[in-house]
Amino acid sequence: MRDGIETAKRGLPTVALVTEEFWAQGDFVAGAAGMPDLPRQQLPHPVAGSGRQAMADLADRIADDLIGRLRGQPVGTAS
Amino acid sequence: MTALQPAVDDQSTPSDGPAATAADDAADGLLTATSEEAALEWLHANRCTDGLPVVIPTPERVERMVLASGLDGDLSLGEMGPGGGAATVAKVAANAVMAGATPDHLPVILAAVRAVLQPEFDLGEMQSTTHCTAPLVIVNGRARQWARVASGSGALGPGHRANASIGRALRLTMINVGMARPGESDMALLGHPGKFTYCLGEAEEASPWEPQHLDRGYAPDQSAVTVVGAEPPHSVIFSGDADDPDSAERLLATLGAVLANVGSNNAHFRCGAQTVVLNPEHAAVLAAAGLDRRQIRERLTELAVNPTERIASLNPTFAGRADRATEFRAVRDPDDLVILVAGGSGLYSAVMPSWAAGAHHNPIVHAEVVLDQACEVPLR
Repeated sequence: MRDGIETAKRGLPTVALVTEEFWAQGDFVAGAAGMPDLPRQQLPHPVAGSGRQAMADLADRIADDLIGRLRGQPVGTAS
Repeated sequence: MTALQPAVDDQSTPSDGPAATAADDAADGLLTATSEEAALEWLHANRCTDGLPVVIPTPERVERMVLASGLDGDLSLGEMGPGGGAATVAKVAANAVMAGATPDHLPVILAAVRAVLQPEFDLGEMQSTTHCTAPLVIVNGRARQWARVASGSGALGPGHRANASIGRALRLTMINVGMARPGESDMALLGHPGKFTYCLGEAEEASPWEPQHLDRGYAPDQSAVTVVGAEPPHSVIFSGDADDPDSAERLLATLGAVLANVGSNNAHFRCGAQTVVLNPEHAAVLAAAGLDRRQIRERLTELAVNPTERIASLNPTFAGRADRATEFRAVRDPDDLVILVAGGSGLYSAVMPSWAAGAHHNPIVHAEVVLDQACEVPLR
């Protein structure tokens, strides 16, 4: 979340990747940083250690949408 | 009717909880409750406590605490993360009241707050991490007598009012001004008991060396707090033998093994401040071998090592980040070690590993305890 805030502060297109366990903390940190609407993508928890295939499957599911959001295109199913 | 002075940041006053009985009086910014018991329930319900009962921060109690500081209550010591609340003297004083502190404790509490607000301490990140870290406050100099900070037997255990109250006041400030709330903004997976309070003095009179704050540039007549983000104490057993010429080296090797504990962040990340609390007996073993504190730090840095294959066999994810070095040093630099003398004499010293993360990798911070601004406030 903090990485996302730092890139957004630099004016770069940003979507922060936040797992469901940390979603509430993401809201808190974004609000505290004065960026409550910072775009976020919810991921299942945990991602780390979930295995190469599971991570590849997750990337396949969200990559197009993420790229679209970074390009400023309408958001798809991701939230 | 009891009035409460908010201990939380003005911008982030919590909403009423289910058991709230206090009402916000917009005219003077105070909360009111029908009784101290109702006020306590409101503070618990709004997550303003550490889970234990607190002293209700009435305006009179807070005003008295601020008066003792000799400072303007509106003076801001800085913004405290992760919530970014303004840590004013009055807010710190309100949390000190809640913690059960006395006015004599306040100069140490203010110094501890100043220390953790230094940017390199990365407090916002430290409060948010899933690691169990908590700020350990070490008090040196005349402030120990001023505030009656214990440094001997059981100094980190129960029964020492100053140690308990000073560390708790810092924690409550971190909760109410920094807005660190378990599971929401304080993401520690388990936490540790030092997150209630974690404060002791150095037993300077029992130490064979100069007080450790002199290593940080302070003069002997100055008082200071040294603060390190730390895990709980890991006990280190060692029985010295005056007939054994290798006794000091054996003690150092034992301490080094605990500093390099293969389950610690330090062992994996190869950085981060670590604390070594020597009991007076162990300190005497090292001093008898002619070692000063600098030499001890240097030797421990050499000894706190794991073979790379050992880390790789346990945690290949982290070993993969390493270069091709044949060993993982748990202490990057001798200056990353805090060595102090405290506790009763006997078999046990302690090592506190650390988080070793954040932008600045968990450094040591410190601040002077300013006693000449403090005012004596008579007991009522």
